[in-house]
Amino acid sequence: MLNMNAFQIQRFHWVPLSLLCLALWSLTACDRAQPQSYQIPKEERPANPAPIASTPSTTKTTATVEAEAQPQAQPQNGNSMRVLPGMAEAAKAAGAIQFVTPENWEARTPSGIRKADLYYTNQSTGETANIAVTVFPGDVGGLLANINRWRGQVELPAINSDALAECINSRILSNHSGTYARLIGTQRSILGGLLPFHGKTWFFKLLGDTKTVLEQESAFNAFLDSVRIEDPHH
Amino acid sequence: MAALLQIFSSLKLTVILLSASMVLIFFGTIDQVEYGIWHTQKLYFESFVVAWQYPPQWPAGDQLTWVRIPMFGGYTIGGLMLINLTVSYTRRFSLKTAKLGLYAIHFGLILLLVSELLTDLLAVESQMTISENGRANYSQTIRENELVLIDRSDPEFDQVHAIPVDSLKPGKKVQIPDTSLYAQVVSLYPNSQLVQAQGSQNPANRGVAEKMGVTAIPKAPDYSEKAINTVTAYVEILDGQESLGTWLVSNVIDDRFPPQTIQASERDYEIALRFQRHYYPFELELLDFAHDKYPGTEIPFNFSSKIVTHNPDSAKNQQALIYMNHPLRYEGLTFYQASFSPDETATVLQVVRNPGWLLPYVSVLLMGLGMTFQFGLHFTKYLKKRKTA
Repeated sequence: MLNMNAFQIQRFHWVPLSLLCLALWSLTACDRAQPQSYQIPKEERPANPAPIASTPSTTKTTATVEAEAQPQAQPQNGNSMRVLPGMAEAAKAAGAIQFVTPENWEARTPSGIRKADLYYTNQSTGETANIAVTVFPGDVGGLLANINRWRGQVELPAINSDALAECINSRILSNHSGTYARLIGTQRSILGGLLPFHGKTWFFKLLGDTKTVLEQESAFNAFLDSVRIEDPHH
Repeated sequence: MAALLQIFSSLKLTVILLSASMVLIFFGTIDQVEYGIWHTQKLYFESFVVAWQYPPQWPAGDQLTWVRIPMFGGYTIGGLMLINLTVSYTRRFSLKTAKLGLYAIHFGLILLLVSELLTDLLAVESQMTISENGRANYSQTIRENELVLIDRSDPEFDQVHAIPVDSLKPGKKVQIPDTSLYAQVVSLYPNSQLVQAQGSQNPANRGVAEKMGVTAIPKAPDYSEKAINTVTAYVEILDGQESLGTWLVSNVIDDRFPPQTIQASERDYEIALRFQRHYYPFELELLDFAHDKYPGTEIPFNFSSKIVTHNPDSAKNQQALIYMNHPLRYEGLTFYQASFSPDETATVLQVVRNPGWLLPYVSVLLMGLGMTFQFGLHFTKYLKKRKTA
């Protein structure tokens, strides 16, 4: 039988072993991520981020909009609408809007952040276009940022303030001074009206394939002429 | 010292610690109903002390919420158990063949406690989402959040300066690593709802709060298993002593929205609060996600992700099919099939880094061998006695 002096082992080993235990124990205090700085490969951001809904939506419900106000653990699918939390409520609180639906266009019940939602389908080609009216508090980043966001949606390069004048004109919207933008892309185009109005910004956007958008420009202008925004200040 | 040694090696302490652990597990299990597994684990088992509180939803909860039972947390009990076992083991150790089994069992137990500690310290679990034909080079932990400032001025790379939200406390000034900037949290909400600000009451004066009039209302955190809390903070950024403004940042204002920017004296940064990210020096590409169902039914029988790795060291590139009980082990990480997007065009992989994953197997093996040896020894002695009789 093997036998050793138990007392000697006890005397020489318990101190370092106990210290080791204490050291291990004290490591529990290190169980926290620390501030750090690191490099990553260049990241691509979504081409056309919110706040404006970028894709025509026909089935949005209040529940869907509320769901969008939650943190997203997974990416949304391509048809999802990106709305900043609180925006739907802000749109609801904005004044009502009246307009005349252009011929061959269909007005659908707006939901979420939209104040008006109109659709056009070319019966012979099946191509579609959408007029969306939205309203957001503030200036939503300013005119240049909004024009560049729209340009991104039709795959046009961003411009600087010097080139801004080339794609916008002044335009009366609901008896107030606004802006009219023509953003003609190769595939898709946007014609838009922007109106700063009592601390909010109204957006009138015709989006579709370029051919249809150009065909419907006069109808869109007639729509803009007919728009009347309820003015609670008068 | 001898008295201390006596206490630490006593069987009484073992019994007390085992009893304390039973109490801890009992109250932890009760609170799990309210707080969910993740929060309970943090509260009860990854702490030194914890106080159980009478749940308000129990009978007479309104009057009895003052009832609190303090108890030792998992770190205290586990740490004392480790000391108790180690000291006893060392004091009573004498190298005898007849006791080899007992030594193996005790050493296995010590190893198990150490492995639990190492897992707690070193293991990281996160999720990587990849769209079909898309690539990902990071995973994220939805339970943890971080405040980040990103400098995208370099054409070759982005510089990320990250501070875990756990390090942020209202009023505390924290230096943003490798910058001259400081972040001082005005308010921090573990869960919240973003709404339109009423009147001029908005603690933030820059970014989305200024442009869109968004503000946050605090909400009670939701500890249920699948809940994702909307963590929101009002953060003042200081360049030395000069305030650059206060931003509202939230994990709900993510990549779907335009970035919020800080114009500091030297360069511009994007500021965001997001799920904590873990970047890797390689990419995973999802070639195909399959959700197979039994013919004629909606009952799934298989989820699988066909992926290919893209590593700067091309010798390490490989293609793999990840499915249930068939993870990919790659570069010290294990990728499990965890979930998928509702439209089935993206997969979600659970990414686990656990350097100590082998230790529990070794400890259980040691304990098993020890028990087999010890019982075998006794059984042999018994057989000998019987034969003699």
